[in-house]
Amino acid sequence: MTSPLDARETRWRKRIDLASALPPGCSLLSFTLRMPAPLRLGGEYDRTAGEWFDELRQFLAKEGMSAPSYDFYVSADGPEGFCTIRGVGKDVKRRAVAFEETHPCGELVDVDVTCPDGSVPGRRELGLPPRRCVVCGGEAVPCVRGRAHTAEELRSAVERIAEGWRACRRERRSGLNAPASDERSARGVGEGRTFGACNDVKPPDHMELYCALIGRCAGTAVLFEAAAAPKPGLVTPFSNGAHTDMDYFSFLASAAALASFWERFARLGATFTAGAYMEEGSSGSPSPECTALLPLLREEGVRAEQTMFAATGGVNTHKGLIFSLGVLCAACGMLVSEGKHTSPEACAGRGAEIVRGIVERDFADAGKKKPSERTAGERLYLAEGVTGIRGEAERGFPAVIEVALPCLRKLLSDGAALNDALAETLLLLMTATEDTNILARGGREGERNVREAARNALDLGGMRTEEGVRAVREMEVLFTSSRLSPGGAADLLAVTVFLHLMETSGATEAIRRARRP
Amino acid sequence: MNGVKNSVAGSLESSDVLVTVGPAEGAENTLDVESIVFKQFGARIRSVAEEVMAASGVRGADVRIQDRGALECTLRARLETALERALKA
Repeated sequence: MTSPLDARETRWRKRIDLASALPPGCSLLSFTLRMPAPLRLGGEYDRTAGEWFDELRQFLAKEGMSAPSYDFYVSADGPEGFCTIRGVGKDVKRRAVAFEETHPCGELVDVDVTCPDGSVPGRRELGLPPRRCVVCGGEAVPCVRGRAHTAEELRSAVERIAEGWRACRRERRSGLNAPASDERSARGVGEGRTFGACNDVKPPDHMELYCALIGRCAGTAVLFEAAAAPKPGLVTPFSNGAHTDMDYFSFLASAAALASFWERFARLGATFTAGAYMEEGSSGSPSPECTALLPLLREEGVRAEQTMFAATGGVNTHKGLIFSLGVLCAACGMLVSEGKHTSPEACAGRGAEIVRGIVERDFADAGKKKPSERTAGERLYLAEGVTGIRGEAERGFPAVIEVALPCLRKLLSDGAALNDALAETLLLLMTATEDTNILARGGREGERNVREAARNALDLGGMRTEEGVRAVREMEVLFTSSRLSPGGAADLLAVTVFLHLMETSGATEAIRRARRP
Repeated sequence: MNGVKNSVAGSLESSDVLVTVGPAEGAENTLDVESIVFKQFGARIRSVAEEVMAASGVRGADVRIQDRGALECTLRARLETALERALKA
């Protein structure tokens, strides 16, 4: 009889042997169950493990990391899988960590990567957060080593996660969750959990509340931006602006579909820092590798986009906003978990750290794409060096922090109605940003027209005078007829509202009070 | 020759430990412990290792422990196996 320990030793030797024979540009992936031995060896997860291994390979294949062959069997240590993956070890490990962190079954699997030289890239050296305990959400290794939780606690945690995976699969099969995605669905599953069994990374309880609060501020900001009117060229409750393929209801559907995602972005930020915190010798300063969070945010962003497109029937209502607001929600989550003030400046500054280098990185790839596959933003960068929302984010959202937010605050403190304050702040944003939506459709001339018209309306008193409002009405006609839609400015308006809400909703103060000893 | 051969037991997988044994420079046993939970469990790992080494009667062995958060029972079993292999005729 082979013992589990012998089986593990055999697996380890097999890893080293297989890795040493890898073809160039490939790495070896090994898959095991991450649950206590009685569960792992009991046989009840044998078949499920096979499905999880299949889903893991599909997940990697989406990023071009294909597995030409694989091997799956049940050893004396439980189910295990091996495959050769086309991809560099560290990249494959990153993607594998994304699976562990985001896939509905991710918490219950261990995905190890071995490079041809026998090295094993780890989470820590890649700047990624450590694995979380399935019971308490703390760092896993000390919990396992110190047997911090009872067998019963572990069993029920494992069953809860497995049930969440089954629920996601049921939804996927029933076709309710439109995009053919094998990843976590947007809907909450299970009792008493906001988005339930599908979300595995679990920050401490008070953090849950703050992440929910961040998510609510973001969700509210998206709705406020959509509802504000007049917004020349943009969709409002009263006008479709320059658009023919979407209306106000598209925006409501999109906002509802995205509502749960903002909190998830916040949680990704919060748990990321919590992880960095536990590194040895941590002095409580943020991880210097904030940028390591971005790949995780992008994963979530892709799911958010899919959900948005499903909700709007394939129309892009909030793609740009998913990026900027997603990054800022994560930035807020990080700050909160560090016990720091979530002032607009701090949020925007942390957002900039998260995306640092994005302009250079993203557009370097754009040059390699076929022209037909480039986004509007990528084409504009290659042609004119316009950095768009990526540049704005990387610089710490100066148009929001230095221009829009002071304007919104002033208008509101002067007693302006919220709607009018939003509409006027949007005008100011039109004068202060290089809007890639405008540039893509109207070119430089369109961009100049938008700026000048907005400047003129503001000079006439904006929403506070009859002349100003008349000028805005004229802008509506002009923008609609020339198909100009300042969507970039609109996204920044939502960002402005979000940071304003975070500052004024009591969120910041509540967070600060809670962190005080 | 003190009769200690080179041997290994275990793995570098999570929740496991890789124990490497070889002949030491002198007649005394030497022990090197590396662990991802050294802060919490380093002292305990060391005392378990010393206990198992003493019980095996090994002399002049150089024992290296690379711990990935193994349970104590796993650590004991890996140490015993590694020493057994090192001392096998």
